[in-house]
Amino acid sequence: MTGPILRALATTAARERKTFRSIATNNFFLVTALLLQQAGVFLYLIGGLVVLFPMSSDPLRKIPADRFPLWPLSKGQHWKLRLLSPWINPITWLLAGLAAWSLRHTESFGVVLLGAALFVIGFLAPSISGEPAFLRWVPAPPGPLGQLIRKNLREILLTLDFYVALLLSISGLIYRLAMRDLPSEALMSMTLLIVLALSSYAQCLFGLESKSGLARYRLLPLEGWKIIATKDAAFLVVAVVLTLPLAPVTGLAGALALLAFGHAPSTEERREQKRWRFSGGASLGSGIAQTIAMAGAGVTAFRISTLILIPCVLACAGSAWWYGRKLREFQDSD
Amino acid sequence: MISCHNLTRRFGDFTAVDNISFELPAGSICAFMGPNGAGKSTTVNMLTGLLAPTSGDATVAGLSITTGGLELKRKIGVLPANLGLFDDLTVEEHLFLTGDIYGLKKEDTKSRTSQLLRVLDLEHGRKVFASRCSSGMRKKTALAMALIYNPPVLFLDEPFEAIDPMTSRTISELLLTLAERGTTVFLTSHILSTIERTATHFVVIRGGRIVWNSTAADLNRPLEEMYFELIEYPAVENLEWLGNQNA
Repeated sequence: MTGPILRALATTAARERKTFRSIATNNFFLVTALLLQQAGVFLYLIGGLVVLFPMSSDPLRKIPADRFPLWPLSKGQHWKLRLLSPWINPITWLLAGLAAWSLRHTESFGVVLLGAALFVIGFLAPSISGEPAFLRWVPAPPGPLGQLIRKNLREILLTLDFYVALLLSISGLIYRLAMRDLPSEALMSMTLLIVLALSSYAQCLFGLESKSGLARYRLLPLEGWKIIATKDAAFLVVAVVLTLPLAPVTGLAGALALLAFGHAPSTEERREQKRWRFSGGASLGSGIAQTIAMAGAGVTAFRISTLILIPCVLACAGSAWWYGRKLREFQDSD
Repeated sequence: MISCHNLTRRFGDFTAVDNISFELPAGSICAFMGPNGAGKSTTVNMLTGLLAPTSGDATVAGLSITTGGLELKRKIGVLPANLGLFDDLTVEEHLFLTGDIYGLKKEDTKSRTSQLLRVLDLEHGRKVFASRCSSGMRKKTALAMALIYNPPVLFLDEPFEAIDPMTSRTISELLLTLAERGTTVFLTSHILSTIERTATHFVVIRGGRIVWNSTAADLNRPLEEMYFELIEYPAVENLEWLGNQNA
């Protein structure tokens, strides 16, 4: 029973991988992999990557949620599918190879245990479903688009990216309170790390919308840029709140740059995302360009001048206007 | 109120809607019928400005479907096939969103929301997220969204399907009241008994072409009989293995 399902998933995945652009990645994992390799905890990261990457690109999510429980599969078969399906993704093999290579160069069993713990989390997280009660507390900003912004805020709170950023933000706050003579460079780095954790979401702003929700956008008498602006407003609120304990202006500049580069993949390469997963992001190229722009804007705002916010706002607004038009064109040509 | 002239839509070599024309006066309820794949949804998508016609044109509430843009969207209320609901908004938040976007005053939005939720028997579910609603609740929410700003033209895709009989009757009565007050309703449905009681006009489409266009006054025999004759109901093939547990 599991064989045909895995074959069908492999076929679907292969169809998606026809182009280089189709390789989706989470920016945070890629960048931290490179940084932490130098910090000497490469294995820790790879262990996490092997587990967490499949969470963001879980092939099982291709199976409609209503269909999966109807199939006559035993618990064992469910586990078998969950264990085997991530290996359909070639990047999982690559990461596992790297992990195996790293293991030969360390004797730290603590790190192996940590990897095992992450592995367990990786299997538990997909079972979370539904909307938690705290989503009701999310307020609607005033104005005609308030309810849309509220909805978009809720969507961000349903991704694991937000909770990684929240963890980093809390860590930053504690760090700042504990160390009075904190080097200013550390403030900037931690701020950028928080924004980086949110960055992949900025590439898939419409990823959590159901088909039904996307259909409603087509019916609303709203210009495309306004629809994108409601997404941006929610993202910027989250980015600024999370970077408040550190360097919020740096965070804002970085977030604006992320959005300016994220509108294109969000509208042109829309990929469906799952709740309670890490954002899969868009193409590798988009992720690299976006990360460089974010770092450039953030570093400039921190080290040189906050006037960098002006071109960042203009770029974000221009991109929202342009891709707002595209959004309507794509919708109308369906 | 709806005027359709030689409307055609092709997808590559396939002609989904082929040169259709009809006129609907204000205050009419038109039942647009036909088998699956006949071109009903394509026609509705063109009339609501969601899909550009390959040729021909139509006007809805005095606006061309090709150039009406956002103004057309403000003049029409739509119950789309996939309902168009956001998973992360509750039932009442959908109505607040609609009221805000269509420029209703806050107090009007609140009072109309309460009234619509009461009439459509949705009060118990007003705080439920759309993703947690039953299919009937979802349909009623989408219908309430189409009604709350009181548009002059309504397009309803299968409003009576997946609805309990009581609410179905309520919707039917609401539509009759709307039509009496001048609202034009264009609906698709497969529930012939209900639309026979409700509609003032009948249009049947088959293979992208209109095969029957009539008013209720001209209908001189049961709608179901007329429909099956027009559609040429095929004999059902006998599958030997079906239901045979020993096969």
